[in-house]
Amino acid sequence: MAESATTPSFVRAVGVLFAREIRVELRTKSLLTSMGLFALLCIVIVGLGVRGISSNETYHRFVLAMLWVCTMFAAVVGLNRSATADRRKDFFQALMLLPHDPALVYFVRLVSTLVFLLLTQAIMIVVSVPLLKLDFFDQPLMLLVVPLADLGVLAPGVLLSTGTSRVRGGEALLTIALLPVAVPVFLGATGVTDALQAGLGAQSAAPFLLLLGICCAMFTGLGLLLYGRLNEG
Amino acid sequence: MKTNEKSSKAWLVTVVLAALGLIGAEVVLYLSYYYTPVQITPGTLWVVTPDGGAPINLYESYRIFFIHLPSAYTTALCCTVCLVGGVMWLLTRKEKWEALTTAAAETGLFVGAIVLLTGTLWADYAWGSGRIGSGWNWEPRLTTMLILWLAFAALLVLRKSMDTPRQRSVMTAVYGILLGPMYPLVSKAVELGRTSHPRSFSDLLSAPEIATTKYLASIAVTIALASLVALRYQMNRLNQQIEQERAA
Repeated sequence: MAESATTPSFVRAVGVLFAREIRVELRTKSLLTSMGLFALLCIVIVGLGVRGISSNETYHRFVLAMLWVCTMFAAVVGLNRSATADRRKDFFQALMLLPHDPALVYFVRLVSTLVFLLLTQAIMIVVSVPLLKLDFFDQPLMLLVVPLADLGVLAPGVLLSTGTSRVRGGEALLTIALLPVAVPVFLGATGVTDALQAGLGAQSAAPFLLLLGICCAMFTGLGLLLYGRLNEG
Repeated sequence: MKTNEKSSKAWLVTVVLAALGLIGAEVVLYLSYYYTPVQITPGTLWVVTPDGGAPINLYESYRIFFIHLPSAYTTALCCTVCLVGGVMWLLTRKEKWEALTTAAAETGLFVGAIVLLTGTLWADYAWGSGRIGSGWNWEPRLTTMLILWLAFAALLVLRKSMDTPRQRSVMTAVYGILLGPMYPLVSKAVELGRTSHPRSFSDLLSAPEIATTKYLASIAVTIALASLVALRYQMNRLNQQIEQERAA
């Protein structure tokens, strides 16, 4: 009885933690700055690299694939920054003391990082239109694919970054650990993009979309189950 | 005393498995050269190239399947053991499960390398120019197998980088669980992209001699590699004991 009087409800706890993530970012501006700057630099480098491609189809396929690569590495940069900062300031221990399942902390971290990554992608898209001469707005299915792919990368990423942030050189370690696991997501995302770009329609993209959906559900489920275990001891 | 008895029994099992595996491998080697047919019936040993060109004859290159296919099965087994080991460690916190997960990842790395090497050589010959040297062809199943192989390597790098035994055990278990569901992707890869990877061995090679040799090869290679898992498991258990004694 006493516990229920002092324990905040699930929704309230999510709200408080999410507001805390946003407040920290508004104060430090470290996540969006590092992810955004990284993505911009990648776009400039990709732009320089594709100058010689004369075939329009090859150009579009290559640039879109490279944008997915940029997204994946921007996500790694963001995950590293957020996990290392929290670890350094002992926020992790404080978060683990919450009178709720640790899965709640995982959920909030996942959603907040997803929001920041989507914001970074919005910047990437705005910049890519004039710089790389791409048109993203003729494929409404991409509005579903992009958040799904982000979720698929971030779900194992949030989990693994918690472990790798504990050790020296954890930034490189996260990249090594996350990329093989996230490749199925990348395979699904590039498969859908490729099918849409080739004008094959949603039916050809369906198996890849299914792969994306399965990966997202599986990784998020595993993250919710394992996050608490990873932070014990 | 009890621990010593257990340990010597485990070593005995390892040695017996290794001996059986070696004998099996010799038998399969003999069968694959003297029992399976050299004469190729048109239609049975023909495959299409990834670009949908004219079917080509495999000639004797199909014999590499007797190593490639059982190794692929064993990689799937290693994946499953990683998953089971990870789950069991999280449930019981017993060190033996961590040792098993690591042993499965180490063996998976070795067997995966055999799958990749034999697959690449065969695909290079069969889908390339009919000779070795035309390079990696990004065939979906082979590529997803390469990703799985990298994941095995990542697990071993990750666990080595952890500072404390506790962190190492947790990360091994968690990554083992994440790695587990990757084999279905390798298995389903032929349905995702444009591929000419044989979907079923029996469709391609219907001769009864080939089927018998394939079954025997699968059993022999699985036993040989189970002995490798057992050997690495014993080594990992010894390392854990040494670490504990040093810490005490």
